[in-house]
Amino acid sequence: MRRSSSVTDPQAPLLSFLNVSKRYPDGNREIVVLDEESFDVEQGVFVGIFGARRSGKSTMLRLAAGVEEPSAGTVLFAGENLAEMSVVGRERLLRTAIGFVSADDWRPSPKERVVDYVALSLGSNGPALREARRRARDVLTVVGMAHGADQLARSLSVGERTRIVLAQALIREPRLLLVDEPAVMPSLSEREELYALMRLVAREQNMTLMVASEEMAPLHGAGVLMSIADGELCSTDERGTVVRLPRRVLAGAERRGR
Amino acid sequence: MSRGSPEKTEWMRGTSASLRGALLGLLLERPGHSYELANRLLTRLGETWRINPNDVYRLLKQLEDGGLASANEEPKRGNQRGTHSVYYPTELTAEALTRWMETLLPRGPVRVGLQAKLAVAREEDAPRLLAALRQYERECLDLLKLAPAAHNEQRSWKALFMDCTREAVDGQLRQEIAWSQRTRRRIKEHATV
Repeated sequence: MRRSSSVTDPQAPLLSFLNVSKRYPDGNREIVVLDEESFDVEQGVFVGIFGARRSGKSTMLRLAAGVEEPSAGTVLFAGENLAEMSVVGRERLLRTAIGFVSADDWRPSPKERVVDYVALSLGSNGPALREARRRARDVLTVVGMAHGADQLARSLSVGERTRIVLAQALIREPRLLLVDEPAVMPSLSEREELYALMRLVAREQNMTLMVASEEMAPLHGAGVLMSIADGELCSTDERGTVVRLPRRVLAGAERRGR
Repeated sequence: MSRGSPEKTEWMRGTSASLRGALLGLLLERPGHSYELANRLLTRLGETWRINPNDVYRLLKQLEDGGLASANEEPKRGNQRGTHSVYYPTELTAEALTRWMETLLPRGPVRVGLQAKLAVAREEDAPRLLAALRQYERECLDLLKLAPAAHNEQRSWKALFMDCTREAVDGQLRQEIAWSQRTRRRIKEHATV
């Protein structure tokens, strides 16, 4: 087993889903989030995932981050099978190469300053605290929060918190930035600013950006757009239409068609 | 041999293409005269299509010219006097309908075309409809991709108005995608019952 998360196949796409299925039990029914879907995402591409509430777009991001395992199929990060990595290896990947931004990730302790909240997200085996703080201040400048570095994290507004969560992901200098539902922004102009910031940082650092939203505004400017519903993905990146049909429909077509 | 020929696809073009396609479906179900077919189109497609009997007459003529329908002069029913043309399907009609089901018109209001297909689809058309709906969804995503991303430094009236416009387009596309997804789900669910 390979140890380092940075050891990767340079030829492989940054992210690959190979026949990935994900199912959840729901009472005595089964919810199909993904049904044998395959796609590749190259380095530096902005992918927008559009889906209604509970369509499975967040699950897709969690599968890409390796925090959830597929029911079937394989998720490869830079050619490496996430499911075959050790728990420690996956965690390390999440602290380095993969940044995951989710609105739920806001858990500062009562007296924690913003700069420390961002710095400490590098983890205990990251750089020394002094170095971590220096990097935190740099990244706070990038997200436009340099002025708030020494404030108490709990005193921030909703819009500011989203920037801090983004800073927590950026400080790890990820190759893949996953952003879940960035729509929780109080004002339109703040919203647009944040989306523009995400796009700009991703482009400048040649990061792969995957944004999942039920709004379309955060997805503007995406190079590849996907929609997800009932386990089926639809992508602007498709080469040739592959439509899978329930068996009975096909049988009926063959019986009566010709 | 222009509008109607099954090998050529001219009959699938133009603003009336969807109605021509739907008429083929109706003819296959049962023959009828022009006014009656116009009524059936109206019932099937709904008021939003603004079906005009004169247009339907013209479209049937075009289909007849292309060999996709044949007209027969028959006495009117009941105690009405005179005759009228009753339209029948030909041996080419079924194949032409199938071809149309598989075709997503490249220009014009695509959803209108899909609606027309749904209105007269046969059971065996279900896979073709699923493929067409999927392609439609992808076209909506492509349209969304065309929308430029806003720039954060813009806080002018013009930027605001542009953003409002974009929001309107976004809303429409979102609705279209949701409609396509819902329709695909219903077709698939029905197939697995």
